[in-house]
Amino acid sequence: MGRIAITGASSFLGERFLRRLIRDGHGDDLVVFDVAEPSISEGAIHFHKVDLTEPAADQAMLDLFKAEGIETVAHLAFFTNPRRDTTNAHELESIGTLAVLAAAAAANVKSFVMRSFTFVYGARAQNPALIREATPLPHRADLGWLRDKVEAEEHAASFAKRYPEMSVRVLRFAPLLGPSVRTFYSRIFDRRLVPTLLGYDPLLQLLHPDDAEEALVRATFSSVRGAFNITPRGVVPLSTGIHLSGKVPAPVPHLVAYWATDALYAAGLVEAPSGFIDYVRYPCIADGARAESELGFVAAHSTRDALDSYIAYRHPAAHSVSHEPERETNASRDSSHSSVKVGR
Amino acid sequence: MSARPRAKVLPFETKATRAARTRRARTVEAQEKEDLKRRVEDLEARLRAAEAGSRLPEDLVVEVTRLFAQGFKGVSWDRVARVLAAAHFSWHSEETDEFGYDAKFTETLRPFLEFMYAVWWRVETTGIERVPGSGPTLVVANHSGVLPWDGPMINVALRHEHPARRHCRMLALDMFALLPFLAPLLARSGAIRANPENAIRILERGELVGVFPEGVKGVGKPFKNRYKLARFGRGGFVRIALTTGATIIPTAVVGAEEIHPNLAQANFIGRPFGLPYFPLTPTFPWLGLLGTIPLPTKWSIDFGEPLDLSRFPKEAADDPILVNRLSEQVRHQIQTIIDGRLARRRSIWFG
Repeated sequence: MGRIAITGASSFLGERFLRRLIRDGHGDDLVVFDVAEPSISEGAIHFHKVDLTEPAADQAMLDLFKAEGIETVAHLAFFTNPRRDTTNAHELESIGTLAVLAAAAAANVKSFVMRSFTFVYGARAQNPALIREATPLPHRADLGWLRDKVEAEEHAASFAKRYPEMSVRVLRFAPLLGPSVRTFYSRIFDRRLVPTLLGYDPLLQLLHPDDAEEALVRATFSSVRGAFNITPRGVVPLSTGIHLSGKVPAPVPHLVAYWATDALYAAGLVEAPSGFIDYVRYPCIADGARAESELGFVAAHSTRDALDSYIAYRHPAAHSVSHEPERETNASRDSSHSSVKVGR
Repeated sequence: MSARPRAKVLPFETKATRAARTRRARTVEAQEKEDLKRRVEDLEARLRAAEAGSRLPEDLVVEVTRLFAQGFKGVSWDRVARVLAAAHFSWHSEETDEFGYDAKFTETLRPFLEFMYAVWWRVETTGIERVPGSGPTLVVANHSGVLPWDGPMINVALRHEHPARRHCRMLALDMFALLPFLAPLLARSGAIRANPENAIRILERGELVGVFPEGVKGVGKPFKNRYKLARFGRGGFVRIALTTGATIIPTAVVGAEEIHPNLAQANFIGRPFGLPYFPLTPTFPWLGLLGTIPLPTKWSIDFGEPLDLSRFPKEAADDPILVNRLSEQVRHQIQTIIDGRLARRRSIWFG
């Protein structure tokens, strides 16, 4: 096993991944490529300052990959939250991914793991109930956030075809939710009034960060190829999430919602453009069967567990009141998880 | 010397046919057991749902009382949120399956649908014994009525008249799954969006699936074309049945064509709202919401002879000529049942 290069290590998932690998005794094999050095209490890490948005990033990465003897690349430099600076996001996610892929292929890297999202399938009314990995991704989507991710996936797929000696894995993570997850969608939930679309109540998949971390570690030390949906067990309707966390839903007719959101986004009053409304309108639920059969990954937590852990942490009052009779079962469920973790 | 050719004796029963007969007997027995088990499970589920249902409205009363206990001074965000949550969970469950089916919600709607079935349309169901008690089954029916009431009625028929009380997962047109209010309503009551992937997934679990191959051409057809079956899509339902080994049950619904007589179309009105068609009926839109009340015609639902596809291999699904022939055969069978019914029918209102 050669050394492991990590990009985007200061992201939420990247940092967890880094800590986990250090805990597991891989600390000496890690090389972090990022714009800022991650500060981690677990110990010192080998760090190189690389900005993927710079034109010569691929050459710089190639030299460093060769010098460090990199055999595995974990490319995690993606934005979960939409960026106001869409040009920069495009440079990092689409062009940056191209640079990392080119450097990895030229440096004869054996294994390339990339982070992606189940949101890349796009929320459409025509989606199958459980989307498989082979489903074509939306081409030239209106939503810049989505377009950049799809382009990064296209680059990965084309490199996988051109360089068969490099095994490329793309992990499409369901949206993360848990005690420490802070994203644009979790912040919407932090308000008293949660805007929803009038007459729509789509199903949601929410992945517990522990499961995301586990899947990423498995994929790093695996040699399978292709895209994998990393999903939790089960689904919950959006309305369940709103009512369990003690929020007041504010239904907005969809004829108004899109342009109102765009206006508010332009004014800087909301965090996400209107393209994201589709995700609370239509379903975007992925099928995790392939990850189970080929990666051996089965989520330890269900969507409901992830939701409960988030509510217990962020909205303890709502949690204790609405769940008086179920508290014990929740507690026992939590303890069973921690025992699993000890065993691991 | 030549041996005289002996007469060929056809045995009354060979070893193979005897074995097949006992096997059949055994499968029938197993199926009956399966039916019984299903029924018990169903009753248990209903008991659970009823218990849960009777408990939750109390929560709602408690929360509303708490909200106004100190007059309007006591009204706060948290209290309002709790009342809303209690109201929501009094008729929705907290979790659904991955297609969005919600047992509690379905249970809430059940009395209303039973009323429509038994009192409003006085549905007469025949041939229910032709629907197998278990295993992948595809109920294929004609679609009509502007609003897709035929789906829930077939569901009620299977749930109430069939000994195995099978739950029918309806394949809903994309356009219904797109519309506000209707989309969550359909998903919660067990419908799934009509696409081959969903249908195959459900059938592979051995469930019963209902499909209207006419699609939007059927449900939105003008009144003058009533009971003339439209083209059956591109035979997708045959391909699904061939792939999963499901039994096809051709089913004819008579009476649904007249619930909203679609005299003229004004589709340009509906288009900006995402509606696929905008009917002008004697009551709609002139009477507003009252116009959406369906007329109380007399209905019949006839389940026809099952179409056995077991003689075809799985690969037959890729043969477009065969698929189209089988699809036409089913369409013809349904049309024949409908024509027979119509010939016997004396009145739209009394059958």
